[in-house]
Amino acid sequence: MANIEIDAPGTSQLFIGNEAIARGALEAGIGFAAAYPGTPSSEILGSLAQVAKKIGIYAEWSINEMVAMEAAAGASFAGIRALAAMKQNGINVVSDFLANLVMSGTGKGGLVLVSCDDPSAISSSNEQDTRPIAKWLDIPLVEPGDFQEAKDMTKWLFDLAEELGTLCILRSVTRIAHARGNVKLGELPAKQHKAHFDQIHDLKNVMPTTFMPMPSSLRHFFLHMKLDKAREKFESSPFNRYAGPDKSDLLIITSGSCWLYSQDAIEALKLRDRVGILKLGTLWPLPEKFVTEHLNKSDKVLFVEEIDPFLERSVMELAGNLPPNAIRPTFYGKRSGHINAYGELNPDMVIKAISTILGLTYQPRDIQYSKKAEALVKSSVPERSMTFCAGCPHRATFWSIKNALKLDGRDGFVTGDIGCYSLALGPAGFFQVRTMHCMGGGAGVANGLGKLGQFGFDQPVIAVVGDSTFYHATIPALINGIYNQSKFILVILDNSATAMTGFQPHPGTGMTAMGEPTKVVSMEALCRSLGAHVEVCDPFDLKGTTNTLLKMMAEDGGAKVAIMRRSCELVRAKKEKTPYKVHIDAEKCIGEACGCDRLCTRIFLCPGLIWDKKAGKSRIDEVICSGCGVCADVCPQGAIIREAA
Amino acid sequence: MAIKAKGCQDLVTEVIETRLCALCGACTGNCPYLAYHNGRVALLDNCTRTDEAQCYEYCPRTYTDMDAISRKIFGTPYGDNEIGTVKEVFMARATDAVVKKKAQYGGVVTALLSLALAEGLIDGAVLTKTSDDKTPAPFLARSVDDVLQCAGSSYMACPVLGRYNQIPKEDILKLGIVAMPCQVLSVTKMKAEPPENRVSIDNVELVIGLFCTWALSPDKFYRFLKENIDLAKVKKFDIPPPPANRFDAYTASGKTSFPLEQIRKFTMPTCAYCLDMTSEFADVSVGSVEGTEGWNTVIVRTDGGADLIEIAKKKGKLQVDKLPASNLEHIKEAALLKKKRAMNEIVKKSGDKNNLLYLGLSPRLTEKLLA
Amino acid sequence: MTKKQLTKDPLNLIITGVGGQGNVMISLIIGNAFVRDGFFVTVGETYGASQRGGPVMSHMRISKETQYSPFIPEGCADIILGMEPVETLRMLGKYGNPNVITIINPRPIYSIDVTGGHAQYPDLDKLIETVKELSSQTWLINATEEAQKMGSHMFANAILIGALIGSGVLPLDKKSVEPVLRETFPKEIETNLVAFNKGIKLVKT
Repeated sequence: MANIEIDAPGTSQLFIGNEAIARGALEAGIGFAAAYPGTPSSEILGSLAQVAKKIGIYAEWSINEMVAMEAAAGASFAGIRALAAMKQNGINVVSDFLANLVMSGTGKGGLVLVSCDDPSAISSSNEQDTRPIAKWLDIPLVEPGDFQEAKDMTKWLFDLAEELGTLCILRSVTRIAHARGNVKLGELPAKQHKAHFDQIHDLKNVMPTTFMPMPSSLRHFFLHMKLDKAREKFESSPFNRYAGPDKSDLLIITSGSCWLYSQDAIEALKLRDRVGILKLGTLWPLPEKFVTEHLNKSDKVLFVEEIDPFLERSVMELAGNLPPNAIRPTFYGKRSGHINAYGELNPDMVIKAISTILGLTYQPRDIQYSKKAEALVKSSVPERSMTFCAGCPHRATFWSIKNALKLDGRDGFVTGDIGCYSLALGPAGFFQVRTMHCMGGGAGVANGLGKLGQFGFDQPVIAVVGDSTFYHATIPALINGIYNQSKFILVILDNSATAMTGFQPHPGTGMTAMGEPTKVVSMEALCRSLGAHVEVCDPFDLKGTTNTLLKMMAEDGGAKVAIMRRSCELVRAKKEKTPYKVHIDAEKCIGEACGCDRLCTRIFLCPGLIWDKKAGKSRIDEVICSGCGVCADVCPQGAIIREAA
Repeated sequence: MAIKAKGCQDLVTEVIETRLCALCGACTGNCPYLAYHNGRVALLDNCTRTDEAQCYEYCPRTYTDMDAISRKIFGTPYGDNEIGTVKEVFMARATDAVVKKKAQYGGVVTALLSLALAEGLIDGAVLTKTSDDKTPAPFLARSVDDVLQCAGSSYMACPVLGRYNQIPKEDILKLGIVAMPCQVLSVTKMKAEPPENRVSIDNVELVIGLFCTWALSPDKFYRFLKENIDLAKVKKFDIPPPPANRFDAYTASGKTSFPLEQIRKFTMPTCAYCLDMTSEFADVSVGSVEGTEGWNTVIVRTDGGADLIEIAKKKGKLQVDKLPASNLEHIKEAALLKKKRAMNEIVKKSGDKNNLLYLGLSPRLTEKLLA
Repeated sequence: MTKKQLTKDPLNLIITGVGGQGNVMISLIIGNAFVRDGFFVTVGETYGASQRGGPVMSHMRISKETQYSPFIPEGCADIILGMEPVETLRMLGKYGNPNVITIINPRPIYSIDVTGGHAQYPDLDKLIETVKELSSQTWLINATEEAQKMGSHMFANAILIGALIGSGVLPLDKKSVEPVLRETFPKEIETNLVAFNKGIKLVKT
């Protein structure tokens, strides 16, 4: 990650959106940052943690977003500016706290929540828009339109948050968070002031204690007052601006990354003189006067925004109140179908929408070339499905799970959760995972299934969860399974990292976000102390793991735990040298013949194994192979040879 | 052998799911897709081979042209004799005291194996070994001691052919196999069309077949035993010949008996469809002698079997006697009855006299058995 | 020092490959070099799940005027740096045009769809012919092969950056790029510099 604490105000750096936000937080003088890893938000805390010690702030990976948000609020209550960052699902996890936080206020510090959405769920289990929570719970919300704004808005938002004494949200999306762009740096502030929790507050920021009771409805009223103040400021915010003619053929109302797409689209169609862009940065409360003013610039309005028609509906509500003589534009957007109401957007979609509305044709490249290119590609370009990395212990674990379930023969199955192992929904994990919802969902669902014995249910249930997910959300479900005696096996994939999001540490790794060694919260000690039968397996020991699972499936009783312990390959490779040199003895390989039918490439599917069609034999791709040697135990003919490297 | 190209998916639908599977083990051990566990053969993944699928080819419950394999082994068509091709029938018992002590009845199987090993006729034997907790498991015996440890019957099916399949294909050890009639049938199919990418079937020098009316489920019956007796204390199991009508479990202090009706419900479903009581394709078949404890009925069928018996007699390893005519009559009756019962069950299951499931029998023989 | 000009504004560069190959590293180095030379740079990239063996692409928009979006519109790529053959073709199909310049490392990485038997990897020679047909200029740089000669396939990234610089398609020279290389490569800096220079040489032959 880039160094975000460079003391060089005025210079331009190439930052990803997340680094820009982190830098903005530093320039705002934060002292405390907490988060749980979640794509596309992880680098915010990651880059802060990298410089935290040097700069003298505190940054932590919390066990989950709930604790991260609450901890950040705690810092704000004690007068320290604090930031909590998460992906869109984190909003769901913290929503109960937020619903109460807006009532209590945030004290003297200044609290900002950054939520990064993942349109198209490129690295998520669901596609979800953060912004409606602003309307739902009365929270001021802003969205940066590019990388410079990501920094500048964050800094500015802290001032607003402190002044209003209420939580403010900055919403980002993948194509800002993970994209790189120019960011001109500002000044870094001086030292932090002392942290102190004042026991007496002004009426607007009263904590709910028994000594100073205040009905929730009254707090709600005060909250609305804060939002009115925010709206006033938003009316003149520099983050909202219009570019284009006074009267346009089309007015685009947009926010966030879609601002850049809209600009690209207008460039491509050469419509700078005909189409205006109203870019909004402060989205909630909506700056109604400002928006209303611009609504009369055109009789056609196109809304371009990521995921939900949030702006679209807010503006249309506004339009319902327009005076009788005002222009009533035709609204285009997700409601009309001109912009997708699902999936992420890009400049081409905006080009298409504008072209359709204005009746234009657009030909980016020579038609003949286009036809040829598309035909050639269609016929020759194969799919490239995601898979587990070569050497990933999950491949070995799911291999053993698959075999154990088949050998057991009672039609057992796996309830899944969130992480790299979510890929086991597909061929990478032999299609073993059958359900997947949210963090902790797998064990929760398993709890219900494990109690259906009285209805004749006898299928073995395995709930698979990653190590980080275990600490995040699964402990309550495990306790429930022990207490209510639900029959399932909780398989914890302990690869010593929060891998999918970038190998962040967690309570089981013995390392903090800031790189300091700390207590290890031993998962087997924890599970045993709960009264569960716990086994620890090495997933690379295929036979041993399969047998352990078979034994556990044959047992009665409530929830039990099997820990599959082996380091993530990408983490291991950074610390150690390759364990084995693996090659295939072509003489022993029988390829497609009976007794093999190319098990290694066709079913085991490690990308380090490739099929040489001409020779009719398997081969190792030495660029991809990580030298873990597990395939040597999979080959039925002993044709895969592993030698100590 | 196979009429149309078939694969392991067909094996699953035609044999395993229909409960015809005899747990002989012939489809396991050299294939990553089929595995035995706890009383059943499981399909772990799909195999796309629908031709030359050796699991299907050598299964004793897929189509078997009985005449063809009979001609291959004996030069004669199948079914003329109720107890199969017979060179010689007699009763015998081991002379060695150690063998006699460990023997189920006469110890003939143990004596013959020990002799074959000692003479270098075989280097090893694929047998069933019962562990301390009485679970039967396949075992490759390499010494006389090993063989002695495998003496005695568990009466539960055991997939020994899986162990045979596991032997590395370059291996040249000469082998003996002690098998049930279903397993012997599978080995015979392999002899008729030698397998590929496996240990050579030519290594199998000696097949000793056991008499069998039915076998018990290694899963269900084992669980029943576990619930009713302390298996660690059991020294030997026995189903004494009629009219005893019981299953005995012997401990150091005495024996526990179960009425045979109670035990019969644990027989493998596939046994109802089996025509072979005396392992008709073995080199030598061995069973008990009704009414005479401590002796075996021995049927010699092939030259190889006959040679071994000669050596055994010459070296004094076996005490041999004439089998009483009534015993032979009984055996033949029982064998014929098993064939007829099985044929009726087969036709009941298939619903069609012309569909004998896995059996390829001559019309003449079919008619005779269904009469 | 003469400030080099962009052949067009914005200049659209795609770096494509398979998750884990090092896209991000290359775009970081090129991007930083441009920013230091006073350009606006936007890089759009796929992170996260795609990194697990899926296709990845980096879209770079380089401009003197303004910050462009992180997506290159279809049919508008000016340069494609393909670290893997099929991915190169995939990009040409969507973003190529008659003027596009392509640098390709012709070393296949087989997807599990291919090894699993559900898809065919095209004939490599035919694929390269197709790439040449769809590009105005094509360079074949055996980066993986050359890197392996140097001791590890990991030096391929530096070789490809060298090829990109040496080809002259970008207004960047060795002077702009070397310091960024030194700062960015976490280990084996000297070997990576040798690889970088090798890449420059390879593209000129």
